[in-house]
Amino acid sequence: MSRKVAIVGVGMQKFARRKEETLNEMIFEVTKDALDNAGLTRDAINAVVLGNAVDAFCGIHNSAKLAVEGCGGLMKPMMMNSTSGSTAVSLPILGYTHVASGLYDVVMVIAYEKMSENLSPQAVFNTVYDEVYIKPMGLNVPLQCGLEARRYLYKYGLTEVQMAKVSVKNRGNALSNPYAQMPMKITVGDVLNSPYISWPVKLLDTSPVTDGARAIIFASEDVAREITDDPIWVRGVGRGANSCYFIGRRLDDLGRLDYAYLAAKQAYDMAGIKNPRAEIDYAELYDPFTYKEMQHCEAFGLCEEGGAGRMIDEGISLKEGKLPVNASGGLQGEGNPIAAGMSRLCWCYKMIKREAGACQVPKEVNTAIANGWGGMYQYSAAMIIGRD
Amino acid sequence: MSKDVKPITIAAEIQIPYVYSVGLAGSKFLTELKDNGKFIATKCKKCGYTMMPPRIFCEECFIDDVEWVEVSDKGTIQTFAVSYFSTDGKRIKDPWMLAIVKLDKSDGGLMVRLDEVKPDDVKIGMKVEAVLKPKDKRIGSILDIQYFRPVKG
Repeated sequence: MSRKVAIVGVGMQKFARRKEETLNEMIFEVTKDALDNAGLTRDAINAVVLGNAVDAFCGIHNSAKLAVEGCGGLMKPMMMNSTSGSTAVSLPILGYTHVASGLYDVVMVIAYEKMSENLSPQAVFNTVYDEVYIKPMGLNVPLQCGLEARRYLYKYGLTEVQMAKVSVKNRGNALSNPYAQMPMKITVGDVLNSPYISWPVKLLDTSPVTDGARAIIFASEDVAREITDDPIWVRGVGRGANSCYFIGRRLDDLGRLDYAYLAAKQAYDMAGIKNPRAEIDYAELYDPFTYKEMQHCEAFGLCEEGGAGRMIDEGISLKEGKLPVNASGGLQGEGNPIAAGMSRLCWCYKMIKREAGACQVPKEVNTAIANGWGGMYQYSAAMIIGRD
Repeated sequence: MSKDVKPITIAAEIQIPYVYSVGLAGSKFLTELKDNGKFIATKCKKCGYTMMPPRIFCEECFIDDVEWVEVSDKGTIQTFAVSYFSTDGKRIKDPWMLAIVKLDKSDGGLMVRLDEVKPDDVKIGMKVEAVLKPKDKRIGSILDIQYFRPVKG
């Protein structure tokens, strides 16, 4: 039987298109911030888990080795994890399992990405494709999201206007986020009039290239109860993976994220949640493109399958709505340092603790979910946290 | 620590040549395409899953008891994307298109370029067929398929 595990602190920093700190310096800032947030010192940390999505962005392979000191890992057990974009939540799941297993009592988890170090993020993305069937065809990220988004809108009869509303919501929410890179007060018309990346995805449906890091401290029940009267527990985790041959999967449809539905089922079963729409108070969902937030709302049961358009139309996911999504601004508004999209989980924690400042949603939040997404439409990872 | 120092940066470049293995299944598939202009897939003898792109094992039954079968050079557009940018992100005048096409007689498909059709006329569900390079120009690459075009009639 695994042990109960709590989150006892998170570390934040401003996201930016370019940060002049080294990885080690950048990571020190969030590590220190997390220790301060938890009221702990480096001595209390038993082990460190850290990682990024794509080393080629910063140009140094196995880049975690550069940050042993910055992550507080000097002469401590340390390991790196990466599952593309879903690193954002597979990393905290790994940190959680370090503690749940009984092996360690306090574990620091750090997610980082330094995307600005190379001069062509698009060229870096082009190194992630299969060399036999995909890369020779000239696929790039704009076309990749165009392929998926078109199928998604087609399958469920959703619209570009509904996508645009997600952009308006998230960029607007980011105006209250002191760490945000892309806060914008915009209209649906602004989004619809922004240039097409590949139909139906437009410039203002996308997230920016970002440098940044986040940290989270996980602690065993004994330790958590010592340092806080209000531990926020990990209640459920889930993950799923699908074939890299997204062009030839037998059973599924590119518009439906079967692997995310799988991650959702695992996480909800573990948390004992039967009806997410009633039992989840708040969500931070991975939104590198607007339609991804919509797909994730469906896969994680925050609306019915195909119902994400209605959810945004009815304002359910607005900051003041019944089930707010990405009140921090999400990747759209806060910035998208791929793995450091772990920020989604940090914001879930802040919302529950009522430490979210101007981003705080009006409703009471006791249970929240965050997810990550990555690979060639392949990976999903989710974590549910909350009070007992 | 103050941040008032003017940052120094180092310009560098990584240039590494690679030789990628196409693999057992891929090599046979591309050789058949080059020599005979045919699309072949692997079919699981247990569950009947016909894999395109072909794999040497059934990913579901997890056995390597698979046989090679010929599948169609025609298929159905599952989704497509139009781009006014080149692969490396440069703005271009004439748009180009990629589609995911499910090949008939298989359970999978390929990513293909579309041509002989205007972007506005392409639809999900449209039947398309392969146009291969002439035999003497084929080299055993997925690019031996020039493009797919709408099936006439």
